[in-house]
Amino acid sequence: MPIHNRPSFTREFESVDLFRPSRGSVYVSGCSVEDRSNHVSEWDETIEEVSFVGVLNTTASQIEYRTSSESTRSQLQLRSSKQIAGFWGAFESANRIYIDVTGLRHHVWAALLRGALLTRKCVIAVYVEPGDYRPSLTPTDNEIFDLSERIEGISPLPGFARLRDSGDNTCFIPLLGFEGTRTAYLISKLEPPGNKIVPVVGVPGFRPEHPFSAYIGNRNVLTTTKAWKKIRYAQANCPFDLYYNLEEIQKQYPGHVLKIAPIGTKPHAIGSVLYAIANPDHVELVYDHPIRKAERTAGTGRLLTYNISSLVGQ
Amino acid sequence: MKDQHQLTVQEQLSQVFGSYKAEWLKEQLYELFTEPAYFPELKTTRSCVLIGGRGTGKTTVLRGLSYKGQYALRQTKDEDITSWKHFGIYYRVNTNHVTAFNGELTDDEWIPLFSHYVNLLLCDLLLEFVEWFELRSNLRVEFSKTDIGRFASSLHLPACKTHGEIRIALTDAKIAFEAYINNVVDADRPPLSMQAAPIDLLCSIIQKFKSFEGTQFFFLVDEYENLLDYQQKVFNTLVKHASDRYCFKIGVKELGQRIRATLNPHEQLVHPADYARIDIQEKLEGDVFRKFAVSVCKSRLDRIEQNGERLVADLESAFENLDEDQEALKLGIKNLSEPVRERLSRISQTTSLENETMANMTPLEIYFVHFWAESQKKPELQVLREASSSPQSWKTRFLNYKHSLLYTIRRKKAGIRKYYCGWDTLTRLSGGNIRYFLELVDQCLVKQYREDGKLELPISAETQTKVAQDVGNMNLSELEGLSVNGAQLTKMVLSLGRVFQVMASDAAGHTPEVNQFHLCQDDAPNQLDNDQSVKKLIDSAVMHLALIRLRGNKPTGVGDTKDYVYMLHPIFSALFVVSLRKKRKVPLSDEDIFGLVNSPQKTINGILKRSERSQTSDDLPEQLTLFKRFYDANPQ
Repeated sequence: MPIHNRPSFTREFESVDLFRPSRGSVYVSGCSVEDRSNHVSEWDETIEEVSFVGVLNTTASQIEYRTSSESTRSQLQLRSSKQIAGFWGAFESANRIYIDVTGLRHHVWAALLRGALLTRKCVIAVYVEPGDYRPSLTPTDNEIFDLSERIEGISPLPGFARLRDSGDNTCFIPLLGFEGTRTAYLISKLEPPGNKIVPVVGVPGFRPEHPFSAYIGNRNVLTTTKAWKKIRYAQANCPFDLYYNLEEIQKQYPGHVLKIAPIGTKPHAIGSVLYAIANPDHVELVYDHPIRKAERTAGTGRLLTYNISSLVGQ
Repeated sequence: MKDQHQLTVQEQLSQVFGSYKAEWLKEQLYELFTEPAYFPELKTTRSCVLIGGRGTGKTTVLRGLSYKGQYALRQTKDEDITSWKHFGIYYRVNTNHVTAFNGELTDDEWIPLFSHYVNLLLCDLLLEFVEWFELRSNLRVEFSKTDIGRFASSLHLPACKTHGEIRIALTDAKIAFEAYINNVVDADRPPLSMQAAPIDLLCSIIQKFKSFEGTQFFFLVDEYENLLDYQQKVFNTLVKHASDRYCFKIGVKELGQRIRATLNPHEQLVHPADYARIDIQEKLEGDVFRKFAVSVCKSRLDRIEQNGERLVADLESAFENLDEDQEALKLGIKNLSEPVRERLSRISQTTSLENETMANMTPLEIYFVHFWAESQKKPELQVLREASSSPQSWKTRFLNYKHSLLYTIRRKKAGIRKYYCGWDTLTRLSGGNIRYFLELVDQCLVKQYREDGKLELPISAETQTKVAQDVGNMNLSELEGLSVNGAQLTKMVLSLGRVFQVMASDAAGHTPEVNQFHLCQDDAPNQLDNDQSVKKLIDSAVMHLALIRLRGNKPTGVGDTKDYVYMLHPIFSALFVVSLRKKRKVPLSDEDIFGLVNSPQKTINGILKRSERSQTSDDLPEQLTLFKRFYDANPQ
C-alpha cells in the first residue's frame, strides 16, 4: 500500500490549551530548558483523576521522578526491565498511558516507551512543537541554528544496544535535523558504506522553511557523501510516516541492518524507536546525546498526540 | 554502467579521486593500494601500533594487510593462499558497541564483561576467516570433536559438531549477551569466558590444520582510540600476552593511545619490548612522503584517459610553480616598488654605488627597502646606503624577510593575497596527509577541467590557490563533525587563523612569519570544567588535525602539553593566508585558548594588542568573509 494511504494515528491540537489528558490516565513528562515543556505543571494543579509523573533529573542511566500523589522522589534505572516494569506496575489501574516526549531526553522516553508497550495498555505519545528555533549567534557553515551546547558522544539508548556487527550489509539512515555537524560526526564515527546512506528529511516541516534549513545545515555532509541523491521525505511531525518509510527502505536493502540516527525531529525519533522495537534483528539505533542549550527554542506551537498502541496493534 | 572509455574526464576523476576515505572506496581500495615505505615493518611477526592522524592511510594499510586485502593485492590463485605465512583479521572498533559497556557498573565490573565480548568477537572473526579459506582453497578445515568440545566449553557454548555450528552458537551467544547488557542492572550475569583463553585455543586448533602450520594471525584493530580507557587496558593486556600464534596490529590516531596500563597493575605496555611503534608522520617525512604521494597519484591518474591519451604524463610539472620573485610580480609588487625606486632616484645625494645597488635590486628587494625603513623608522635613503655599504648583511636580512614580505603586498586588497602553488607546496599543504594531498590534486584537476572544458596543463597558480582555499574551508567545515568538541575546535581554528593572518599581513616592525604558539604557564584559574580542559581541547585538536604538534625546545616529559609547539595544520594556510613553513612562535596561555573559543573577538584583539597590532574588518581576506559574523560577534 502506498505510504500516503496508510493510516496515521496522529491527532493535532492547534494549541496546548485545546488538549487535556483523559481521566484515569497516567501522564509522564519532563521539564526541559524550553518554554514548550512547561504546560504540564499547570495541568498538574488543575486536572483531577490523572496521575502526573514528573521526571525531575536524569543521568545517562537513571532518572529521578515524582508522582503527583507523592511528595518523595524515586529513582529508576533505565537498563533494568524489572524496575521499568515496576514503574508502570504502580499505575496498574490507569486506563491509558501518556508519555509526553517534549521535555524528555531520547534515552529516557525511549526506555519508558518500550516498557509501556509491554503493559498492553493504550500508549499515547505527546509532543508539543516549538514556536520557533533560535538562530545561531556565531554561525559557521553547518550551524544555522544554535540548538545544542555540545554532544556527549555516541552510545546506545538504554535497552537498545546491539552488539552484532553487520559489516557492509549496513544502511545508514540519518533522520536529518538542522545541525549538520551532528550528521557529519555520526558519519565520521560510523563510516558507513558511502553508497548506503539514506537520509530522511522532515517534509512538510513544522514550518514551511524547515526542510530548506535541514538541507542547508547538512549541505556539506550531503555533498561529500553524495547522500543527497538518496534523500527520502517523511512528514516532520509524524512518527508513522517515518515508520512506513523505514519499512520501504528495508525492502530496498534486504538482508541489511538499518543503522538509524534519530537526530532530527522528536516525532521521527519516536518512529525510529518503534521501528527498532518491532525489528530488533535488523535495526541499530545510533545516537549522539546532545546537551541542549537554554532557550534553544522560543514559544509553544501545536500539540500532537500519537496513538502508538494502534500502530503496534496493526 | 558506462565503461572507462565512455566516461568524461570529470567522471573518471571522480571515480578514482572522489572517495578520499578508504572506507568509501570499497573494492577499488585494493586496486588503488600503494604500499607505503613502512609496510614491511607492519608485516613482521611482532605486534605494532600504527599511529597517524585521520587521512594518513591507517585504514587503507590495515585493510590491505587483511586476508581479503592480501588476496586482492597479491592477485594470487586460490590455491596459493595455502602458502601464506600470515592472515590478517580486520576489526574496526565500533563506538556504538563498545560504549554499551559503560555506566551502572564500575570499571572493575565491566572488565570481565568486555573481555568476554572481545573473545566472542575475535573468535567469530577467526571462524569467518576459516569459512572464507575453505571457500577459496577448496579445502575442508576439519576440527576434531575434542577440539570443538573444548572450544565450545571455553565460551560456554552448547555442544557443537562443526565449526559451522559453532558460528551459529556464537551468534546466539552474542544475542543472549546483548540482551544481558541491555538489562545489565538486574539480569542474571551469564557465564563468562576467561580473557584471551578462547582466542588462544581457537588459534591453536586452526593451526593444527596443515595449511596453517607455522602461520600467524594478525588481529588488525582499527580505530583503537574509540575504546574507553578501561577497554584500552583490556586490549593492552591482549597485546602484552599475545602468544606466538597471533599478534596485534593496532591503528590509532595520534594521542588516541591514552592508556599504557594493562589489567595487571604492575605491568605496562611498553615500546619496544611489547610492540613496535610506527608513527606514519615520522615515516613519511619530506622526500619519502613526496615519493609516496607521487606514486599514489600516479596509480590513480594512469587510469584516466583524455582523447585516448594518458591525462597527465609528468605530475610534478603539471602544477605551475612560482619562486618568491615571480610570485611577488604576480601579486603586483611593481605597484609598490616603483614609487620607492622613483623616490630614491629623485634624491640627488645618492652615490653611483648606491644607484648601482638599487639598479641590481629586484622589485621585491626595493619593496623591502621601504618595508625596512618603515619598520625601523628610518629614511629610505639610509636603508639604501646600508644595503650598499654592507651588502652581505643586507642580503642576509632580506633573505630572512623575503618570504614574509609576500603576505604584506596585497594587504587589505580584494582577490588572491598570496599564492599557494607548485607540487612542493601542495605536498607541504597536505602536511604529510595523503587524503588531503589527493583532495588537493583532484580538486585542481576538476577545477581546471570545469573552467576550460578540457585539461590544459600546467594548472595555473590561481587555480591551485583557489583550490587550496576551498579545501581548507571544506576541512574546516568537516572539523565540526569529527569529535564531541568539534564546534569548539572549529572556533579555535577560526580564531587562531585570524590572529596569525593579521600578524602575517602586518609584519612591518615585527618578527617575521609567526605562525606557531606554545602554551605558557598562567596563574589564572582554569575556567573550563574538568572534562573540557584546555589540554583535552588541544589534544583533540591534534588528534583531529586542527593543529599539528611539534617538539618544543625545552626538555620534555611525555604527554606534557606545555612542552610542545603547535601550529594550525598547513591545510588551513591558504584559507587564512599564513605561512605553511614551520617558523616562529608566540606564547599563549590556557586562558587565551579558552577565550579564542568562547569570546573570540575580545581574545583575538587582546593577543594582537600584545604585539601592537589590531584587526580591522577591511583586512579580512575575501575567502573568510563567510565567517565575518563569527569575527564580528561579541558575546560580551
